[in-house]
Amino acid sequence: MPFMEFVNFYLMPGIVLGSIYALGAVGITLVFGILRFAHLAHGDLATLGAFAALGVVTIFGVSPWVALPVAMIFCAFMAIGIDKVFYDYLSERPKIIVVMSSLGIALMLRALVQVIWGVDTETYTRGIVRPENYWGIRIRDREIYTIIAMFAIVGVLWVFLQKTKWGKAMRAMSDNPDLALLSGVDNRKVTMLTWAIVGILCAASGFFLGINTELKPLMGWTMLLPMFAATILGGVGRVEGAVVGGLIVGIVEETSVLLIPGEYKAAMAFAILLLILLVRPTGLLKGKVL
Amino acid sequence: MLKKIALAAGLFSATALASNAAQADVKIGLLGGISGPIAAMAPPMLVSSKLAIQQVNEQGGILGGQKIVTVVGDSACNPQNGVDAATKLVNIEQVVGLIGPHCSGSVLAVANSVTVPAGIALITPSGTSPEITGLEDKGLVFRTVPSDDFQGRSLARTLLELGTKKVAVAYLNNDYGSGLANSFKAEFEANGGEIAGYSAHEDGKASYRSNLAELSRGGADTLVIFDYGDGTGLTILRQALENGFFTNYVGADGMKSDAIIRELGTENLTTFVTSSPVGEKSDSLAVFNKAYIAAGGNPDAIFVTSSYDAAFLMALALEKAGGDAAKVSESIVAVSNGQGEAILPGEWKKAVELIAAGKDIDYKGAAGDLNFDRAGDVPGSYGLFKVDGDTFALQQTLN
Amino acid sequence: MELIGLLNYAVFMAIFIGIYSLLALGLNIQWGFSGLFNAGIAGFFAVGAYSSAIVTAPESSVHLGGFQMPVVVGWIAAMIAAGLIAWPIGKVCLRFRSDYLAIATIGVAEIIRLIVKSEGWLTGGARGINKVPRPFGDLSYLYSQLAYLALVIAIVFAVYWAIERQISAPWGRMMRGIRDNEDAATAMGKDIKARRLEAFIFGAAIMGLGGALFAHFNRSITPEAIDPMIATFLIWIMLILGGSGNNRGALLGVAVVWIIWSASEFLTDQLPTEYAIQAKYMRVFVIGLLLQLVLRFRPEGILPEPQGVSSRTETKTFQKQESAAK
Repeated sequence: MPFMEFVNFYLMPGIVLGSIYALGAVGITLVFGILRFAHLAHGDLATLGAFAALGVVTIFGVSPWVALPVAMIFCAFMAIGIDKVFYDYLSERPKIIVVMSSLGIALMLRALVQVIWGVDTETYTRGIVRPENYWGIRIRDREIYTIIAMFAIVGVLWVFLQKTKWGKAMRAMSDNPDLALLSGVDNRKVTMLTWAIVGILCAASGFFLGINTELKPLMGWTMLLPMFAATILGGVGRVEGAVVGGLIVGIVEETSVLLIPGEYKAAMAFAILLLILLVRPTGLLKGKVL
Repeated sequence: MLKKIALAAGLFSATALASNAAQADVKIGLLGGISGPIAAMAPPMLVSSKLAIQQVNEQGGILGGQKIVTVVGDSACNPQNGVDAATKLVNIEQVVGLIGPHCSGSVLAVANSVTVPAGIALITPSGTSPEITGLEDKGLVFRTVPSDDFQGRSLARTLLELGTKKVAVAYLNNDYGSGLANSFKAEFEANGGEIAGYSAHEDGKASYRSNLAELSRGGADTLVIFDYGDGTGLTILRQALENGFFTNYVGADGMKSDAIIRELGTENLTTFVTSSPVGEKSDSLAVFNKAYIAAGGNPDAIFVTSSYDAAFLMALALEKAGGDAAKVSESIVAVSNGQGEAILPGEWKKAVELIAAGKDIDYKGAAGDLNFDRAGDVPGSYGLFKVDGDTFALQQTLN
Repeated sequence: MELIGLLNYAVFMAIFIGIYSLLALGLNIQWGFSGLFNAGIAGFFAVGAYSSAIVTAPESSVHLGGFQMPVVVGWIAAMIAAGLIAWPIGKVCLRFRSDYLAIATIGVAEIIRLIVKSEGWLTGGARGINKVPRPFGDLSYLYSQLAYLALVIAIVFAVYWAIERQISAPWGRMMRGIRDNEDAATAMGKDIKARRLEAFIFGAAIMGLGGALFAHFNRSITPEAIDPMIATFLIWIMLILGGSGNNRGALLGVAVVWIIWSASEFLTDQLPTEYAIQAKYMRVFVIGLLLQLVLRFRPEGILPEPQGVSSRTETKTFQKQESAAK
């Protein structure tokens, strides 16, 4: 097979898909690291973000790119609200209770999307977009934006976590909550901030999934398992690990059809996860052992 | 002890909630995959079934002026919820006939553990699995959609006649997709065609470009897609068109979806055709389309014709059986066996008069003539449709 | 509405509660007593259902079969097959802790689901396996349901008794010891790995039996039945709601959750008929909301683990998870 064909039809789609996974996995890894539970409503929150952007597009007739920030803010408030109304009361309970609660939230969010927007398959813009040709690499503009946006969002988040006071507080909570509390970190504010960031990341991953394919009420739920695989692959609690994990899962899924039948493509995320866990139980970048 | 509590609680909640349901004259259950993987397909199918019932009620009702009331149940496209919903419809709502479930796995489970033991007739508008043919159903299970086998074979023969000798096949890995793909492949190769790529895919992934690249490496310029046009089929067709993997695209009835035209645009679909069931020598489809558009629906939605037929047939059979649930299944065969005066979709009044006069009637459905065989299956007759304006137009009939 | 219809519905509910009870009891051995976060219940459910179906179903041109063994043999085969599958999975995965084990088992269940869907020669692929014999299936509707219910109740009680016996035996005390304080158990010279593997296989075998009962009840098994929502997460909700670590709590949780799941349809059907379809989406919302309410007001489960049996309290678990996370 010619090298360019491999790049165009296997590698590039894998990177685009991986970027979408990465945005979701970064959010999951934050919840995992700071709040210490597996957030099963993550996919459906992403669906809500994607449909919120669609709502903005259809009501105001603006470009989907304008709608993205609106959806991000909306999802940030949704995430904070869900935490205040539901998760917050369970924070002193075993974490498995919160995990079950997030499963219930997933069902509720999905029902909400189906009632408000219906169940039809939707797109932000009608018609098809043929890829541009850049020195032999065939890629659509929206795919370039997806990759750039992923790195930009994660980059900003990384700087925030490293340089700002609140970012440091979040990292402290992630590393050692008892010590963080003793050193005067405000637990409630850190939790709120975490949910706001998680909501923004959810909206972004849902939006980019929607703009690259279609919007369906189950779109986020079906992405949940690969996103979790990416999180663990990269090492729990590691933002840069989630990016690496997401990209690996995306690329492996897309290139796997070269070796195995197409119907087993969906199993690839887990096959590689099991392999990594056997060799490095803490993930690629050293994450937490929960 | 716990069992008793559970039982008592179940009884209590059921009585409390069901007792205020409206007292209906004749109840028919509509069981669909409303939540779950085919959520996008279910609502138009249910609306279509309801249209048939509405026409019956508007044209004088059933059994001497009674009204038919529909009760909707959700199978969520899995056997667990399907059996649960069917049990409620049959036992609590006391329906006399069941339209659905939509997914084959639910049809098998519901027929085996609810409707056949309870002696209730079931017509599924979209369960295409060949396993339904072999059900030990005491003649109580019917379907208005042909088994995948018929369609796959007639599509294969037609493509060969049209001069397409080499194709690649992408199919959804469920009963619908794999059933069609298997029969298509067998017939296509037996008649000298070449399958240059043959691959199943899972539902709901974001990218299928590598699958498509793999398929196109076989050198075929026609891609046959056995999938749903408002689900993964749309994603596949979009990504294939955008990247120019193939020049011609062929779908089956699942791809004859308004979502394809709406989302991809007519101008991009000049090389796209789909096969879909159509009656042989009747205007049934046109009559149905007109009525369905008038009711605010889009007749290009998937399985709406077979859903309409299932409901209308059920009503005809009930009328013929005089409301006796035990006679419904033989009546379903009797009102659509190819003998007697032709009844088109919506001709309820005429049918009632003929039945009252003791004459035979033969329902000519929107999705085909519906002459049931012993297993409750219908042989399909198909047409090839192309995109014309914002709708699908019949290009030619298949044999 | 006729009384007989109501009875039929109640009997059906009881049968499903019985089948799901087996899955919840199996999970309780793994999570409740041994602390193993198995999120791949659907996989063992599928292995059990398909094994029993293949062993007992008549010959088919599509899938492996034609053995037509008695149903009892099928059920034993289901337990053995599920246990056998659990062995290598446990061998590999049990070294991962809690959430890692969860995601690994989810992955294994997904892979099993894809194999079931794709390897048609073995499982009938997307068509599934049909004509699975149902005990007492020739009786009339109500009697056949009642007879199957009696069978399910008998099996649930037998399994319940077997687990209770095992849990109050030294083995069970050791399991809880390992769960609550792994280091101390190791220091006392217990072979933690082997004990955990035993619990994992024991639980998986019971899940397999649950799958088999499901397949025979419906006389068929198709890949649509092994959806993670309905065959994994739902059971977790049942166990956590009922009270993990307590078998009677598990049974009660199953009954409560299944009644919520099933009867919520009556509630949302009260909406006007124009909204009949939207009502089904609302139903999913109501299920999610009821789950929140129970978790909010009975977070330790309806029947918590009896304190006399275990030294563990909920706060201790919490602290332990916290310290493990460090």
